[in-house]
Amino acid sequence: MSFKRIAITFSLVTFCLYGVLILSLLYFYKGSLFFEIFFSERTLFSIRLSIATATVATVFSMFFAVPSAYALSRYSFFGKKLVDTILELPMIVSPVALGAMVLIFFNTPYGMTIQSNGLQFVFTVYGILLAQFITTAGIATRLVKAAMDEIPQRYEEVAKTLGASPSKTFFNVTLPLSKNGIIAASILTWAKALGEFGATITIAGSMAMKTETIPVAIFMRLASADIEGTVVLVLILIGIGLSILYVVRLFTSKTPYV
Amino acid sequence: MFAGAASKPATEEVVKAFEKKTGVKVNVTFGGSGFVLSQMTLAKKGDIYFPGSSDYMEIAKKRGDIIQETEKYVAYLVPAINVQKGNPKGIKSLADLSRPGVRVAIANPEGVCVGLYAVEIIERNLNSAQKTAFLKNLVNFTESCEKTATAVSLKTVDAVIGWRVFQYWDPERIETIPLKRHEIIRVGYIPIAVSKFTSNRVLAQKFIDFVLSENGKKIFRHYNYFMSPEEAQSWIGQKKPIGGEYEVPKNWIKR
Repeated sequence: MSFKRIAITFSLVTFCLYGVLILSLLYFYKGSLFFEIFFSERTLFSIRLSIATATVATVFSMFFAVPSAYALSRYSFFGKKLVDTILELPMIVSPVALGAMVLIFFNTPYGMTIQSNGLQFVFTVYGILLAQFITTAGIATRLVKAAMDEIPQRYEEVAKTLGASPSKTFFNVTLPLSKNGIIAASILTWAKALGEFGATITIAGSMAMKTETIPVAIFMRLASADIEGTVVLVLILIGIGLSILYVVRLFTSKTPYV
Repeated sequence: MFAGAASKPATEEVVKAFEKKTGVKVNVTFGGSGFVLSQMTLAKKGDIYFPGSSDYMEIAKKRGDIIQETEKYVAYLVPAINVQKGNPKGIKSLADLSRPGVRVAIANPEGVCVGLYAVEIIERNLNSAQKTAFLKNLVNFTESCEKTATAVSLKTVDAVIGWRVFQYWDPERIETIPLKRHEIIRVGYIPIAVSKFTSNRVLAQKFIDFVLSENGKKIFRHYNYFMSPEEAQSWIGQKKPIGGEYEVPKNWIKR
């Protein structure tokens, strides 16, 4: 077997692994239930809420990730290694634990002041945004940094010798060159935010028509021992998530990282 | 055994005592009562189903996931208001939960029985202005019995309508404010039954018998559970129906 075939076989096995999992949902699938659940006011609200919060959280994450990644990729500063390491926190600590950490923070005097005088995060839509932001910001930074590390610094040095300021160099050289990496990081961040569950339910709760995102609704169905309903919502999440990602990929098909 | 996490400390102690007495190792999967029921049905495994409250036993019965005639009531639960230790908001009655600025949670009435009881208590005891104010204060439906207690422990809300026993789960952070006797509509209970998927019905029954024996009851009493309807009713000071069905009004749940 040629090397090409071996590689393709591996990719097909991976595809089949997920494909079988998706197909097995049909074992508990009830067609009539699908439309009833999909078009219910509650599910439509959850879909809108999930897409909106994942998008806003991605914008916030990327807003912090791009400059942070640049700093970590290009500059040396005190505590850099520590900052670099702590970016992995959302991957080491489970989302539920991250959510619990946020709730515990809101129990401290500083946290309580924010809650009573500033924004109310616990059990609100802001809580969903916060949950998705903290679980994605570190990873987004890590992904953008990986893309920026790939760009030879020589391009920036040339721009500087031609008289460009550091900010001009960043906006006119580094940013366009890392565009593909940033798009790829945004897509992964959005996908992770869309499927975020543990921190969301811990911070924002699970109130229908208020803070119930699709992953939370899936858990609530399973926790109500409603397996058929769970299957329908999982199919909805897969359908929405994969089709949006597919469309984005079509529009950015030239980008090698996506 | 698939068990609801709500009675975890007492269940763990009963399991230990049973293992010591019989030498039989009991594997327990704890979780939300509905969640472990889903696990049990999907895995087609498990000898005993021991949910934290009655609602999921009813679902398990309807679906034929348990052997009906083996169902027994283990402990009895009385609804109450639970507040943060020291009662910083000065909540003394059900009507106080409608006061402006009080953050309240109840368990999700769609599936968690303590939430169902809470809705019934509100519907039957508050007038329509108080109900509107209560709904304004209601910030979350918690997804399980134990999360309702945790909401008070973590101070994410000022009060919940939960079980009286919550206070003993976390005595340093939770305080129970009893409801007036006429406000309590019914008493809840914790059931246990042999699963349809059991591979050893005799042994499963032996465990249930042990839980209901004086030894088992002593352990649950140590965790402040009422072990007979009389104990619960004498605490309330009035006879109340045990369990029973209640249909949540449509405005509480959107499908």
